[in-house]
Amino acid sequence: MALGDMSPEVMMEALPLSEPVLLILLSLAGQPRHGYSILKDVEQMSDGRVVLSTGTLYGALRRLLDDDWIERFEEKESSRGRQAYRLTSQGRRNLQAEVSRMKHLTHLASLRASLSLRAAKEI
Amino acid sequence: MLRIYRCLLHLYPAVHREQFGDEMTAVFEEVQAETATKGITARAFLYVRETAGLLAGALQQHVRALGGARVWLTFPTRGFTMRTEFRFPKTTAVLMIIILAGVLLVIEKGEGIEASLARVSPPGSIVQTNMLPGIAIGLACFYAAGFIGWAILFALRRSGVHRLDDVSVERK
Repeated sequence: MALGDMSPEVMMEALPLSEPVLLILLSLAGQPRHGYSILKDVEQMSDGRVVLSTGTLYGALRRLLDDDWIERFEEKESSRGRQAYRLTSQGRRNLQAEVSRMKHLTHLASLRASLSLRAAKEI
Repeated sequence: MLRIYRCLLHLYPAVHREQFGDEMTAVFEEVQAETATKGITARAFLYVRETAGLLAGALQQHVRALGGARVWLTFPTRGFTMRTEFRFPKTTAVLMIIILAGVLLVIEKGEGIEASLARVSPPGSIVQTNMLPGIAIGLACFYAAGFIGWAILFALRRSGVHRLDDVSVERK
């Protein structure tokens, strides 16, 4: 069963995404990219912290393709071995869901952290 | 290195290789060309990273081919961040399995050797020539015990348990 066919409850099981997968999706959010461009963008976005190998990248790309999160994008001038990918509407929705989940989590974390600080001052 | 890379690609299932083999090779060539201008350390890191990535990727694709599309949810490429459930370090799990397998193997081998020695030397007879295998077995057991001890310590270190000693609890 592809993730695109899953109910929201089942889809939420796929979240949270691993950091490499999240960065790959973010890389494709702006524009279609080919493999090397994704590698470089992921490295740049993570300040060099996440450096993907080609094995990891294409493992993730295959899963995302199979689950209809991304699709192949035909470029006008594409040489052999330079296949571009872009997000599908399903992939965009799932990325948005993950970003919302993270926003909620960080908002909650900042609230609880401030409560904790306040409680510490009162003691 | 390109030749080795192409050889390692053969570890992947044929479907994956046909679909992505050329692309992966082309991307690797680009990365290699970029790293060629950098130092030997950068190149060494690249080769180690790519080899490890290919081996892990090939294993993952074979598992995926065996288990269907949902397997990737349980075998992510890296550890999930901020997961709700308890995370157990994968390396520790692997080491514990290796340790367990090692212990079982030593026990099994030990029993086999003990049985064969009992057959060779009847009870009550002391044969000088039997001392050499005995010393060898003793040494082997000693080294095995040392290795197992080291592996347990390494596994605990990987799991971060040793850091618990450094935790200081301040009460006001």
